[in-house]
Amino acid sequence: MQTRSARSPARPHGALALSFVLGGILLAFILLPLLALTAGQSPTALAQVASSRDVLDAIGLSLAGAALATLCAAFFGVPLGYVLARTSFAGKTFVSAVVDVPLAVPHTVAGIALLFVFGRQGLIGAAADAVGLQFWGTLAGVVVAMLFVSVPYTVNSARLGFEAVDPRLEQVARTLGLGPWHALYRVTLPLAWRGIMTGLTLTFARAIAEFGAVVILVYYPMTAPVKIYELFIRFGLEEATGMALLLLAVSLALFLLLRWLAYGRGHTSGLGR
Amino acid sequence: MSDVAVEQLTLELGEFALLDISLSLDAGEIGVILGPNGAGKSVLLETIAGFHRPAAGRVVISGREVTTKPPEQRHVGFILQNFGLFPHLTAAENISFGLHIRRRQRGSGEIAPLLARFRLEGVADRLPDTLSPGEKQRTALARSLITEPDVFLLDEPFAAIDTRTSDTLREELRQFIRDARIPALFVTHDHLDAVALADKIAVMWEGEIVQSGTPSEVFQRPKNRFVAEFLGVENILAGTIMARHAGGYSVYVGGQRLEVPPGNESLNAEDEVLLCLPADAVDVRQPGGAASLREFPGLIVAMASAGPLVRLTLDCGFPLTAHLLRRTVSERHLQPHQAVTVDIDPAAVHLIREP
Amino acid sequence: MNQHPTSIQQIIAPLLGVLIMAISPSAHAADSVKLTVFAAGTLAVPFRALDEAFQKKYSEVEVQPQFGGSVKMAKQITELHQDADILAVADYSVIPKYLFAGDGKPGLTTWYVGFARNAITFVYTDKSKYAQELTPQNWYQVLARPGVEIGRSDPDTDPSGYQTVQMLDLASRFYKDPQLSTKILANASPKNLRDTETALISALQIGQIDYLAIYRSDALQHHLKFLELPAEINLSDPAHAKFYEQGVAHTKNGDLSGKPIVYAITIPSVAHHADWARKYIAMLLGPEGQRILAANGFGAFTPAYAVNADSVPPDLHPLVKPWPGS
Repeated sequence: MQTRSARSPARPHGALALSFVLGGILLAFILLPLLALTAGQSPTALAQVASSRDVLDAIGLSLAGAALATLCAAFFGVPLGYVLARTSFAGKTFVSAVVDVPLAVPHTVAGIALLFVFGRQGLIGAAADAVGLQFWGTLAGVVVAMLFVSVPYTVNSARLGFEAVDPRLEQVARTLGLGPWHALYRVTLPLAWRGIMTGLTLTFARAIAEFGAVVILVYYPMTAPVKIYELFIRFGLEEATGMALLLLAVSLALFLLLRWLAYGRGHTSGLGR
Repeated sequence: MSDVAVEQLTLELGEFALLDISLSLDAGEIGVILGPNGAGKSVLLETIAGFHRPAAGRVVISGREVTTKPPEQRHVGFILQNFGLFPHLTAAENISFGLHIRRRQRGSGEIAPLLARFRLEGVADRLPDTLSPGEKQRTALARSLITEPDVFLLDEPFAAIDTRTSDTLREELRQFIRDARIPALFVTHDHLDAVALADKIAVMWEGEIVQSGTPSEVFQRPKNRFVAEFLGVENILAGTIMARHAGGYSVYVGGQRLEVPPGNESLNAEDEVLLCLPADAVDVRQPGGAASLREFPGLIVAMASAGPLVRLTLDCGFPLTAHLLRRTVSERHLQPHQAVTVDIDPAAVHLIREP
Repeated sequence: MNQHPTSIQQIIAPLLGVLIMAISPSAHAADSVKLTVFAAGTLAVPFRALDEAFQKKYSEVEVQPQFGGSVKMAKQITELHQDADILAVADYSVIPKYLFAGDGKPGLTTWYVGFARNAITFVYTDKSKYAQELTPQNWYQVLARPGVEIGRSDPDTDPSGYQTVQMLDLASRFYKDPQLSTKILANASPKNLRDTETALISALQIGQIDYLAIYRSDALQHHLKFLELPAEINLSDPAHAKFYEQGVAHTKNGDLSGKPIVYAITIPSVAHHADWARKYIAMLLGPEGQRILAANGFGAFTPAYAVNADSVPPDLHPLVKPWPGS
């Protein structure tokens, strides 16, 4: 795969070297705490944690919740990213700012705000209750809490992805006989694919890690972060880090898979233009 | 056989507008819309292609009115700046892109003759980023051709390409359009495109067609200062008609008197006019020789090389630019800051009445 | 875009600025004594008031309190090796369990002082289901009605969680209704559980739950309506300690029997400022501390009860008496 930097004229060597050093420091900053978690972790304790029904259920719930939140983000967030990339309207700046707000809201506050709307007496919660859907202590609650705090990543990345696609390419596709939906599907979506997948990956990651907003709506059944916290309270550091490691391993495997889906298949060198 | 006609097209679109645009092209004809950025050229193409609904007027392609049809039903070939290839698809995939739509499920075998015709066999599996400009143009043309378009719409395809390459590409394009017997509408801000390609020219400015006609009509008889400047007329001089007589006009320019043959405009004494004078209609030689009404004394202010030509900046009481062959300059021993005799070809002078 | 790479100075200057800003607060740190107090979340309000009074009296000290679940705060000392000067817990038994020597581990303290007591109660709002009909006499019938949602904290992780279950077990005996506890707990399903009950106050106010089992002190501090439960069951009175033992909660950590809710405090051996910690506890046990505790809904002991009174630092001796029955 050809990359842009490989073809571009030689950069100043000092800048690249400095970037290597600074990037390496950052990588160490990310890896050292994670490695510290593994240090002193006994394989037997890890195996014990990994074979606990509770732990596996919690990880399963987190993955299911994050996957559903990511699907919702894709379904609603990608179209919003498209609108923000392709149109200009009064109040667009305001809409963009609103999309970013969940990133700045403390997560406990986000959870309480969601409870106002999705609680049994809330605007949506009461209506949903009438058809048997509850958000208090349910998977649906996990999903809305995860979605709220993580959907900005999808909207913003998808928007950047769409903005990088020349809208006139879609026009060309139309003149070649494609209807508007078909042109979107065959030209714009594949070209914005990386941006969209980056956003969805970030959303998924953020959703798995979410604690503060989720725990307001749902403590039982426990998501993985809540379970890790509970293990720490009930047993101690070893059990908690054991489960944390397990969660990290599962997440890492999933991120690698998602990255491969986003970047690793088909023709990619033309996507960056 | 196909043709295209636009009749009294009117449209308002944000900061762009089209005002009463009419034009028509026959099969194999290339029409060039020439205008500066923001003139509405691209909007005009997009309206013909079906991306904007005009407020008034009609678009007729091959005798079929398509004014309200969506782009996918208009059968237009749309070629953009840098040719607008899909960057995520190979040359062959680009070419067969429209194929699956019009006629589903025919194998890629169908594009083989097309690849051969456009000399693209060797690059069929390459992504557009790795193609030369010529290969890109041929890929784009092949991609459009496969959908059997009734008209080609080209939006500054050469704008980002160096001059030497675009000369070749223009020639290839012209040949292709002629052979395909499909009309083509080409918008550009570069008058060199117009010179090389156009059967018809329309100059557009602020949503209106200011002047249209054959290339020679438009280039030799620009209608106003905007058109003259835009078409690259080097010398546009303000003057006054001194007298009108059987042989034409006597015109005062910067204290000099010039005899100009009659043009198609009817002018009277005292009229303020602009004289349009191509730089290659100005001759410069060593001072002396028989004085005549087409000759002036002048001074070479500066000389600059421009390809095979030398551009001389002259002061004759008014500024004047002349293009001479490099060889001529050296044979005549012309030097900067030298006094010279300037000879103007009256037949090349075009007079525009100043409003 | 063709932006020129910024010069190294331009990159490093702001980085240095950030570093300097990050470092500078700790440069001031040497100026005052930082007294680290780990305390149960329920103590946050009275301890903050006490901190202020303490800092007013001793301006050279800056009290840095951290609040959380009692067990979590204890484990922050024992497992995460954070050096606290003082540990105050909501359940006195946490200190011997985690900080005393045993299981081959060296201990981090040998004594503790019970300095306040609390009671389990239920808080509610005007919006709560059947709140209008609620009386101190019929509460256990009202809370058992179908459709009532009751919040409580997790008995597996939080003292107030198992204390609530113990209280309900005692209520079954006290009101002679063996099904009482089961019926009320049926309205307090796992989805209404949190790691700490104060996390459910917003849910109560929003109307997601109707009643919340909580400490009397929290009820007062949050200005919530609460039930005044009989002393025989609310775990507030060491005089009823024998009866409390009959209230049992079954948890993942085994069966836990009821004990009076007595807050205990100690100075772990890892304390950096044991001298200041003693002064802090002296103020807590003295009239000023007891006044603050009472104002925040806690019952006070005067003098306080000490376990292993002999090990209690000598300057605190006048303020304590031996724990009854120990």
